[in-house]
Amino acid sequence: MEVSWLHLIPLLPLAGAAVCGLLGKWLPKAWLYAIALVTVLLSFCIGLTGFLRLPEEVPIFHEVAFNWFSAGSLHVDMGFLFDRLSGALTLVVTGVGFLIHVYSVGYMDEDPGYWRYFAYLNLFIAAMLTLVLGDNLVAMFVGWEGVGLCSYLLIGFWYTDEEKAYAGRKAFVVNRIGDVGFLIGIFVLFNATGSVSFAQLGVAPLTLATASIAALCLFIGAIGKSAQLPLYVWLPDAMAGPTPVSALIHAATMVTAGVYMVARMSHLYTSAPGVLALVALVGALTALWAALIGTAQNDIKRVLAYSTVSQLGFMFIGVGVGAFFAGTMHLVTHAFFKACLFLGSGAVIHGLAGEQDLRRMGGLRKYMPQTAWTFAVATVAISGIFPISGFFSKDEILAQALHTKAYDFLTLGPGGPHLTSLGTILYLVGSFTALITSFYMWRCYFLAFEGEYRGPEGVHPHESPGIMTSPLWILAALSVLSLVIGLPEPWVRGSFLEHLNWEHFTGRLFSPPRGGPPAGFSPWPGYLVALAIGWAGFGLAWLLYAPARAASGDDRFAALFPRLRNAFANKFWVDEFYDWLVVRPLWSFARGLWRIFDATIIDGLFINGSAQLVAWVAALARRFQNGDVQRYAAVTALGVLALVYAFLLRSSP
Amino acid sequence: MVDFFHAHQAQHYLVLAALLFALGAAGVVLRRNAIIVLMSIELMLNAVNLTFLAFARFPLVANSPMQGGFSQGHAAVFFVIATAAAEAAVGLAIIIAVFRSRTSVNVDEFDSLKL
Repeated sequence: MEVSWLHLIPLLPLAGAAVCGLLGKWLPKAWLYAIALVTVLLSFCIGLTGFLRLPEEVPIFHEVAFNWFSAGSLHVDMGFLFDRLSGALTLVVTGVGFLIHVYSVGYMDEDPGYWRYFAYLNLFIAAMLTLVLGDNLVAMFVGWEGVGLCSYLLIGFWYTDEEKAYAGRKAFVVNRIGDVGFLIGIFVLFNATGSVSFAQLGVAPLTLATASIAALCLFIGAIGKSAQLPLYVWLPDAMAGPTPVSALIHAATMVTAGVYMVARMSHLYTSAPGVLALVALVGALTALWAALIGTAQNDIKRVLAYSTVSQLGFMFIGVGVGAFFAGTMHLVTHAFFKACLFLGSGAVIHGLAGEQDLRRMGGLRKYMPQTAWTFAVATVAISGIFPISGFFSKDEILAQALHTKAYDFLTLGPGGPHLTSLGTILYLVGSFTALITSFYMWRCYFLAFEGEYRGPEGVHPHESPGIMTSPLWILAALSVLSLVIGLPEPWVRGSFLEHLNWEHFTGRLFSPPRGGPPAGFSPWPGYLVALAIGWAGFGLAWLLYAPARAASGDDRFAALFPRLRNAFANKFWVDEFYDWLVVRPLWSFARGLWRIFDATIIDGLFINGSAQLVAWVAALARRFQNGDVQRYAAVTALGVLALVYAFLLRSSP
Repeated sequence: MVDFFHAHQAQHYLVLAALLFALGAAGVVLRRNAIIVLMSIELMLNAVNLTFLAFARFPLVANSPMQGGFSQGHAAVFFVIATAAAEAAVGLAIIIAVFRSRTSVNVDEFDSLKL
């Protein structure tokens, strides 16, 4: 259905960003907060109204705001597409975004750059909504780059700190690598189909080769944006930004853009089953890799950052096995509980006057009970313990991986082995990762909130003000309530919950994988295993980090697996490896270029060289101007003679 | 090749004028004394006068039906003589002025044009 109000959803936060950014310095604080919050809230209300009024038959709202540009056969409209997927994500972005805005009012109140912060935050919401709502790849790319820009601006928000400014640049540069892939993917698709709009790409027939190349290129973009192996290194460093930013951008919304893109392009990815398998494999490896690193980090935000990378890996397993609904469902539930966790960690940091080290926390439940309880709820959710949302969404991914038929006909070369068992491998890796996830999240909880207070002397831990704790409660409640979208479809068939069921809800949106959806299976075995795994992780964490002796937990861990823990704590030396492999050679190369081209050729040859040439010619010319009139006359006479001679030579036959 | 000794034509006068002009030019360029330089200029001017007169007296082309040359040449010569007189007066005045300030009439030392 064509409508004319969709553009308001991204436009309102954009207008808010413009006002806050241009006039924020002179506006009264209360006005600025009001503008920043109300624009996002209005977007949310419009999104909610639209979402509730989506027609049952063809649940799509579409608007072409204007023709953006036309060049040859390429016509790009600034169009917006509001269907069940983008609608739900609009609600997540604006809803969670609004809560984080509210929280930020408390968190950033004393920062002198608060107006800049809210301008960036609103700009981010606008860009993210463009990404989600864009009805073609180019519009999506605009949002894609817009969120990247805001991410960079907000990571380096405290830019006077060299390390934080560096983290911002790192995020930006690493994302560029992926974005090149994304752009090439758009070019390939346009070249093959002559269109960039999702509506046409969703039905365009593609050869396997074209689909594979395009899907691979787009996935490279997703790897960068969603922090997967091998481009995940920017996300842990992105924690240099203010904590609400980590919650909004680097956990709940922006980093899930890759998953959203893959789900949005489900037709393309199911046309390229090899790339689909690669998506799942990269997701599984990243999930495991980041979870292992997460077990040995001491900075509370870094634990959560690696956890985010790991959970994004889960989402990619979900979309990679062709269960696009499972991946996007985990996206939604993860947005709630991870935002809750990050905001909780922000409250802890706030209450401890900037302390982020888990080793210097402990016993905080006594001082900040609300933060502790909400953090615990979100921890239960992420560790997949029945019955909170993470349990259902994560298990849905694992169950779909185990039963997937997406790879049944894939072979490794002619006559090679079939990849039928790939799903099982993904399931095993994912389940093991779930165990580790539960372990490191409970470790984090125990270290921060249980046991004795080990914090810095002279700091009196205190609960955050109501404006910060109320978003925590709402997000914790959402973490619990969102379980309804993850209940297995057979359980809710026929009841009113059926309409809330994510699989049912998004049923017609996604293309099924080549081999078809998995045959009906009972969820019980998977649930029992997942339940056991969730509790096992909790048990392991209890063994090592039981409240009474949490402080020495790391030592016991190190005593059990000294080498492994060392590797985890050092993040597998990936940063060092990249430094050696890419950064240093690039530095040397750039330094060489600077020396040879900039210093020698441009400065030396062109600039100083031309000046010296002029000076040299002038020195020569100066000899002629010696002030001796007689010599002038002689030279003039010789010149006239030469002219006459030349004239005579020419005129004589 | 022009037969210099048998043809009563303009050539003889022209060659003489050229020689005088060259002599004058050499004097202007080579001599140091400003008064001699001035005299050399007079010599060059008079060499020019001679060419004017030669062209006024003889036809430009041998056996031309036109008797005589261009009579304007006589008029031009009077202009040159008048100009030369004025030039000599101005030139001598400059030399005297320079001599007063520099106590020299040596043109080698007059190089302030360099600046």
